[in-house]
Amino acid sequence: MKARRLAVLSAGAALAVVLVVAGNPGELVRRARYLEGSAPLELARRRAGGSGTAFDRDFFVFVEAARRSLPAGVHGLVIFTPRPSPQALYLASYVLAPVPVLVEPDGVPPRWLAAVYKLPPPEGWRIVARLPAGALLARP
Amino acid sequence: MSGFAASLGPVAAVLAVAAAAGWGVAAALVPRGRTARPERFAWGLAAGLAVVALSVPFAFTLRLPPGWLPFLLICALAVLPARLLAARETVADPPQRPPDAAGAVFTAALVAGLLAYALRALTEPMWANDYLAIWGFKGKTFFAEGAVPQRLFQWPSLSFSHPEYPLGLPFLYAGIAYLAGRWDDHAMALLFPVLQAGTLLLLFGWLRRRGAGRTLALGAAALLSLFEPLYRGFTTGMAEVPISFALVLLGTSLCDRIDRTDRSASRRLVLASVLCAATKNEGLFFVAAGLIVAAISAFSRRGVFARAAAFLALPAALVAAAHRLLRGSLPLSDFDFSWLRRPGELLPRIGESVAAVLENVSPLGWVGLAALALMIAAGRPSPPGTRLIALAACGVAAYLLLPAFAVRGPAWLVQTAFFRTTAALAPLLAAGVTARLIPLWPSGESSESGEGRGASARSPGAPRPSTRAS
Repeated sequence: MKARRLAVLSAGAALAVVLVVAGNPGELVRRARYLEGSAPLELARRRAGGSGTAFDRDFFVFVEAARRSLPAGVHGLVIFTPRPSPQALYLASYVLAPVPVLVEPDGVPPRWLAAVYKLPPPEGWRIVARLPAGALLARP
Repeated sequence: MSGFAASLGPVAAVLAVAAAAGWGVAAALVPRGRTARPERFAWGLAAGLAVVALSVPFAFTLRLPPGWLPFLLICALAVLPARLLAARETVADPPQRPPDAAGAVFTAALVAGLLAYALRALTEPMWANDYLAIWGFKGKTFFAEGAVPQRLFQWPSLSFSHPEYPLGLPFLYAGIAYLAGRWDDHAMALLFPVLQAGTLLLLFGWLRRRGAGRTLALGAAALLSLFEPLYRGFTTGMAEVPISFALVLLGTSLCDRIDRTDRSASRRLVLASVLCAATKNEGLFFVAAGLIVAAISAFSRRGVFARAAAFLALPAALVAAAHRLLRGSLPLSDFDFSWLRRPGELLPRIGESVAAVLENVSPLGWVGLAALALMIAAGRPSPPGTRLIALAACGVAAYLLLPAFAVRGPAWLVQTAFFRTTAALAPLLAAGVTARLIPLWPSGESSESGEGRGASARSPGAPRPSTRAS
């Protein structure tokens, strides 16, 4: 019994050390500082500074601005970007939900709006709103 | 901290109300007594969150305004019968012992683990790709649209959101948002440390009821609380933490049902089966694995397996049927099971999958696994421990095999999903491994004679009730 207990205690101690080291205590201090600095900000600003937008923070600012500029009853939004990626699609779809989003499709479905990010607006489209690094557009 | 702190309040209040409502439901799920109280909190939390989630499709179906009215209606439908069917058995309390130094250290470690995960979860709004693309996306769509739009299941352009996944977690998000009055994906992350707390309470309470000493149960909960691969910022918002809670609910209630520890074990099994099936697709797999474990454990006892199977399978089948009604039949989009017809090509892919796993385990991971193996080897045979470890082993085997069927190749699935999905088995494994250690550190082992202790405290896992009728 004693040997078994000793084995369990040794294994438990080793496991505790592994878990503490893997848990990276230094990272917790950085997180606490980050939270202290970001907590007073509004929700969108907290997301803008977070990990989910790190691939392109300007893109999040653009999408959030598009969300705030969308007219009521819009059927969907097509986003044109020079760097389409799954992350851009996921982030835009989430931020704009429940408005359906397509990134870089072949065409713009009827009654949908379009948004261009870091690209010039196409000829003939009406600008609904100017956005940071882009514009919200409607069919002519 | 005004912005975030102010938004945290309503979500905390919703979770507290859900837990309070669940506490009422748990009267029918968990025996009475001080020893059973941590389990009652855990089952109450599970039941309360299930009510919050269920209130959303309930409101949509009856065309009620989602929020407090449907929530209170379901509360009434759940709590009132629960009061009538309240468990009458009482768990015999083990004798009180003065707190020891080890217990104090484990309590401190447990609090540190809880605080560490709270900090990781609440540092920023939930952000993982799977949260944005799947769980949060659907929840936010339900909340903002006030309905379950069929485009989620029909449009090919939305296939990234995995329409074939269960809707329990998105409904829970929408339910919390309706009750809190807004969609706040930062404050809503509070759900995850609360789920961790529920898991730890369940682990501690179940081990205590099954005869573990307080220090042993605290030690197991403390180690689990520090398990960063599960309790980290990245998994916050995804389904791993919720399914890990559901799996340990399933495993422990299955063991209780097989060992007939108390009359309400079957009710717990029903709720756990629903939660597993409603949270992740593999929830159904674990229900099936539970059926096999029950068949092996109770084969010789007439009728026990049949009843356990019914309590396990029927609720999960109902959840699956409800999903089928709502969205039709949808295939698992990441997998191609036609490899089963080509075993010559499948076997090398399984090898590739296993090799990718072995390559990606860190040296620290190997040390942890060796420590775990030593703990299992040093423990004593225990029927519930064996069952729980068998369930976890079924999960590991499935997660090892699944990458072989991945459309994008075994290495891709191993790198993107294997380690976080297997991490969700940790609470189940912790319960199983610790159950084997109970004979080494039983409750009230030193000065106490054992009088007044539950029967299972003396003989862990024996098919005798650990409760007495009040």
